[in-house]
Amino acid sequence: MNGFFAPARRTALHRANPALKLTLFVGLFILTMLTHTIDASFYLACVFLLLLFAASGYPLWKTALLVSGFALAFASASLTMILFGKGSEIWWTFGPIAISKESFYRGLHLGFRSIAFGCQGLLFVLTTTSTGLFYALMQRFKLGPKYAYSFMASIRLLPMTVEELRVRRDALAVRGGGGFTPFGALLRLPERYALPLLAQSIRRAQRTAAAMEVKRFDARSRRTYYYSSPVTAADAAAWLLLAAAAAAAFWLAGTLPVFGLGDMRTGL
Amino acid sequence: MRWIAETKRPKPEEAAGSALSGPSVAEAVGEASEIRRIEATAAAESALHAGEEAKRLEVPAETGERRQPKLHVRTAEPAERTTHDAAAEVAGLRLKFPGVPDLLFRDLSLSIRQGEKVLLLGPSGCGKSTLLQVLGGVIPRVTEVPLKADRLKVPDSAGMVFQDPDTQFCMPYVDEELAFVLENLAVPREDMRARIEAALLEVGLHLPDIHMPIGSLSQGMKQRLALASVLLLEPDTLLLDEPSALLDPEGRRAIWAAVRRVSEQRTVIVVEHRIDEVLDWMDRVIVFRGDGSVLADGPAAEVFRLYRAELREYGIWYPGAWEDALAVGRGDAARPEAAGAPELPAGAAASAASCPASAAPHGTSENAAVSEKPHPANRASKQPPVARGAFSEPLLRLENFRVLRGGRAVCAVDRAAVMPGDLIALTGPNGAGKSSLLLGLMGLLPRQGECRFGTDDPAGRREERQAAAKHAAFVFQNPEFQFVTDRVLDEVAFTLRGEAAAAAQAGEDSGRRGAAARLLARWSPREKRRRARLAAQAEPEIARRAADCLARFGLGGYEDRHPYLLSLGQKRRLSVASSVVTNKPLLLLDEPTFGQDARNAFAMLRLCDELRAAGHAILMITHEPEIAELLATQVWQIEDGRLKSASPTGRSRSDGIRLREEATAR
Repeated sequence: MNGFFAPARRTALHRANPALKLTLFVGLFILTMLTHTIDASFYLACVFLLLLFAASGYPLWKTALLVSGFALAFASASLTMILFGKGSEIWWTFGPIAISKESFYRGLHLGFRSIAFGCQGLLFVLTTTSTGLFYALMQRFKLGPKYAYSFMASIRLLPMTVEELRVRRDALAVRGGGGFTPFGALLRLPERYALPLLAQSIRRAQRTAAAMEVKRFDARSRRTYYYSSPVTAADAAAWLLLAAAAAAAFWLAGTLPVFGLGDMRTGL
Repeated sequence: MRWIAETKRPKPEEAAGSALSGPSVAEAVGEASEIRRIEATAAAESALHAGEEAKRLEVPAETGERRQPKLHVRTAEPAERTTHDAAAEVAGLRLKFPGVPDLLFRDLSLSIRQGEKVLLLGPSGCGKSTLLQVLGGVIPRVTEVPLKADRLKVPDSAGMVFQDPDTQFCMPYVDEELAFVLENLAVPREDMRARIEAALLEVGLHLPDIHMPIGSLSQGMKQRLALASVLLLEPDTLLLDEPSALLDPEGRRAIWAAVRRVSEQRTVIVVEHRIDEVLDWMDRVIVFRGDGSVLADGPAAEVFRLYRAELREYGIWYPGAWEDALAVGRGDAARPEAAGAPELPAGAAASAASCPASAAPHGTSENAAVSEKPHPANRASKQPPVARGAFSEPLLRLENFRVLRGGRAVCAVDRAAVMPGDLIALTGPNGAGKSSLLLGLMGLLPRQGECRFGTDDPAGRREERQAAAKHAAFVFQNPEFQFVTDRVLDEVAFTLRGEAAAAAQAGEDSGRRGAAARLLARWSPREKRRRARLAAQAEPEIARRAADCLARFGLGGYEDRHPYLLSLGQKRRLSVASSVVTNKPLLLLDEPTFGQDARNAFAMLRLCDELRAAGHAILMITHEPEIAELLATQVWQIEDGRLKSASPTGRSRSDGIRLREEATAR
């Protein structure tokens, strides 16, 4: 798992300060959320998809593999709106399903926006390490070390829990059904997995906490940081890159409209 | 000095408990973590005072009792005398965990000199680890436990290494973890790297790159990393809480070598069950009784000479524990099954391994008669072929067998067979494929080649798994993962009910033709009623068999407990009990003695040896060389994903039980 998520090359986005990058991406999310024309959302989706391939630093096939999931996001976001949305210009009906012009374009608009969201989120995740993010948040935004280190410790514990889930599945397979009907066994499933995994996780978390405090971890005292979190030229580059991408999308929507429709909230 | 720790309600435990609508999780977690918090301050206070009352009344009796023991090499330091060079000191310590009626210590007084190397020994649950945490300042600073002491002096700076290698780190990489300590000490960033590298060298960890994932280190290396991280605190006292209990022999040697190297100028206090590696450099050994009082305190050699019997009783792995545990031929020869058995494996009976028929013991003929004709009604349950020696039909035969993980062969066996009466030790380095082999045998991993249980030759993944489940039982390393009910008796009954249901199903299905007809019949109300009636009839018999089985495994009297509330040794025995109750001939175990004290380990091994002598076959992953040398009938050496050799050890399959009975466990 670690091997898969190691970037092949580092771009300006990797080098940028994660805390500042986080604010940039939050800005992008808000911008995407406030986009109400289908041309703009279409170009936002396209531009950030391209940027994801170009700047994530991962080989093409890996990025394509991760992006393939967006097809599902697109379908789920747009289909409901397309099939069941309200509209005056009906194209096709079948029982409760009514596809109108409005619902069709609104559906597509939603789909494009969900792809844009997905690309922005993935771009952030793929270019940021959790350790780097928490160190930056502690140093730039004064996030309490208590929270930062507990998050980092819990990320370390996750793979162990996944491994235990596998062991528990095998152990249950060895124990067999115990005379329960398949349905009865299904009802007990959550309890069967939750009990040992929770018990083990709580114990582990407690031991880890004790070990951390024995190493004189104290949330109140002054501390130094192994990783510095400077603001560098890479931050300016990242800011320019993202701003240019967003501006390009809106400029393209204005000059090369594909759909040529107005605000999606009021009629078309 | 007198103080009582602030108390809080236990938050995580509580959350888990309410989420699952039952007290079991909270209790289970509390029990196992051994660090408990009290419900309310008032309760704690009253408990401590109650203890004080009791003390006042008991004073004469207690002092009398304290003088009585055979010999005190040195009595505990009197509280009045303060030694100036004491690294750590407690006087009149008493401490109480919630939910436990008694105080853990009753006015314990102890003083440890600067630079002294001290080993704390005692039965599990006697409070050694708790005392270590008190001396290290963990209790009550980090873990809040109500405690009272006339005087308590903890070292100015102490470093503590715990037992579990996986839960001592909070960062994903080696350098980040060590830097975490330096950050806590507010060391400037520029100085960090040099100090990290120096600490790694000090504990003998030569890593190609210090930015290395901790997950890629072996367990032994992780413990040395934990030691390195506490060394960065520049402690004058090192406290070690069973640092080698969860390591294989090689890791054990390495961690102790590292500790020894760094301990020259420091005070070292060790709690450990396995003392071979520490014994020769300890200045002082303190032995505790089960109730937390001091039994002996003095130089190592003297304590070992005088208190050997107690050490055995407390389950300590002292040098020579194995010799003492072996019963055969040591004034025990009168035992029937031991008669005629070879004294030690080096001797005779080497031929017996290749030709089991020649070594047939008495009383096998009727068993053999049952097992040699496996007629259909018999095969499903009751009497699987559990007979010893007399017939040469292997319980398990492997040919060109391969276990796959992600499409790649992780363990390959060209040819091997397991006969009744075998106890096979699977040995080899970590990651060689031992566990994968067992999982493959159970059909839990995909496999290729021939794997024949008795006469069954299943085809298809589902059938393979069913055949394996019918003939073999598998005991995982962490027994908790195998528990499926919340009562000890039900745990065993679960297996029996499953067997009864499978038998009923088989009998019923054989009468009908199509799959659809079977399915319809299964869901018809009449059929449901019939099955419920059958199940109700079988229930008293199941309860009786389950209770018998528990008694046999030393778990009688625990029928109504929650399995999570048993001790580690009892949990292991319960998971074996629930596996073998249906008399499956083959038992697979993943490191059954791992992390156990000597008493529980020998109890488990004796259990295996008993089953083996009764005609079962045992396949056991182990890192203990003694098991392979002294108990196994065959040693399978696995290296680089391949069974390198399967060699008989010279112990005959018809050999009697080798381990002493009295080594029963708690």
